[in-house]
Amino acid sequence: MNKQITGLILIFIFLLVIPLQGYAATPKETVETGVNKVIATLSDPAFKAKPKDQQIAAISLEIESVFDFQELSRRTLGKQWKKMSAEQQTEFVKLFTELLQGVYADRLLAYSDQKILFDKEIMIKKGRAEVQSYLQTSDGTKIPLFYRLTDKSGSWKVYDVIIEGVSMVKNYRTQFRDILSKDPPEKLLEILREKTKKG
Amino acid sequence: MSVDPVRKALYLVAVTALFVVFCGYAPAFELGNDPVELSGLLLAQQTQQAADDQSEQDKEDENDDEYDDEDDDEYDDEDDDEYADDDVKLIEDPMIGGNKQLYAFNDNMYFLVLKPVARGWKIFPEELRVGVRNVFYNIRFPVRFINCLLQGKGKKAYAETGRFVINTLWGFLGMGNVAAEFPSLQPSPEDLGQTFAVWGFGFGDYIMLPFLGPSSARDALGRLGDTFLDPIWWIPVDFWTSVGIRAGEAVNETSTRIGEYEALKEAALDPYVMIRNAWAQNRIKLIAE
Repeated sequence: MNKQITGLILIFIFLLVIPLQGYAATPKETVETGVNKVIATLSDPAFKAKPKDQQIAAISLEIESVFDFQELSRRTLGKQWKKMSAEQQTEFVKLFTELLQGVYADRLLAYSDQKILFDKEIMIKKGRAEVQSYLQTSDGTKIPLFYRLTDKSGSWKVYDVIIEGVSMVKNYRTQFRDILSKDPPEKLLEILREKTKKG
Repeated sequence: MSVDPVRKALYLVAVTALFVVFCGYAPAFELGNDPVELSGLLLAQQTQQAADDQSEQDKEDENDDEYDDEDDDEYDDEDDDEYADDDVKLIEDPMIGGNKQLYAFNDNMYFLVLKPVARGWKIFPEELRVGVRNVFYNIRFPVRFINCLLQGKGKKAYAETGRFVINTLWGFLGMGNVAAEFPSLQPSPEDLGQTFAVWGFGFGDYIMLPFLGPSSARDALGRLGDTFLDPIWWIPVDFWTSVGIRAGEAVNETSTRIGEYEALKEAALDPYVMIRNAWAQNRIKLIAE
């Protein structure tokens, strides 16, 4: 009797675990699904008919599901992150997310007939991966577009985009550091508030 | 082939000026008495710097790795912070004042002159403009090829040659990039700045070149050297026609990428710092390839 129950429980656990493992997307799948979803949205006629701010909002939502903005923000600030209060951190993540979403959505709307080619996925270390893709323009030029992902949040999420060798996180970090070397964090938030209000 | 004296004179002036800038800002020069010892010292220092950069890069990778082994505490991670410290100084910028002014000048030139003209140029179909861009790229084959050789990259020199021959013969003098069908025939371009880097020179100081954009002591010198390898320079026309060809090329090139600079600038909190860092990161990648 007891054995039967144990057996049942085991079967139940197996049933639970197996499909879960099957469905846990790899880093490459995560990026590929995300990118394909965005491309599908962009080429949807109903989407094209919408006013621009609604388009940006819709795209932003899709970007958000693939990115780990918390991790991205923390990495971008580096040491400075700890010097901020919890409220400042929360506001920073919110503003920085908004800024990046606006920028990327805007760029994506300019996207036309380029092809995205997915190449390989590299495990950098446990919990971190790089997915390599290429943007192919109409004349055959390939622009390397690499995504860095982390599984800190439970599933694979992007925390950095590296275009032609230029890491977005590193690039913003230099800018933030430049500002924070002269001014307190509050000033940085102020600049970000100003920046996101305009866009 | 005769090259007119104006161009020759300009070259001399430019070479001298760049050499002075290069040496003047190289840290070794401040110690200097003996020029022979100096050049050795300069080389040694630059090599050291390059080695430092490399080890920093390694350290960065290590830190990165360590960081991942112990990610129980999300927000308290010393290694990750060091990673942050390392890459801040990709390039020294002691001439920041002048560079910023030149950046402002370039920025104005772009919005007030280059962009409006490039917009006008857009009356021509995109295929044609991309074709013209490709022709220029194709013509500059000797620059890339010779630099491949100078760096001892035989495979790449081979790929460059293959691309050049195919595109010249079947791509209508390079208008079409037929060689794109073969991924192995798409090498990343080499230039003299990269060759200097392979030989062990660091960036030197950051320099914003008027009209030409971001560069460094090393790369500006390389750029100058590359002009000698550039067939366009040796077309026997007078100086201003030559400048005209270059300006035309810039307008054509810009017409194929209007909006890119604007988007980058829009995304930045400090466009000057953004460009300096992005340029340096991109150079490091090109050098590694």
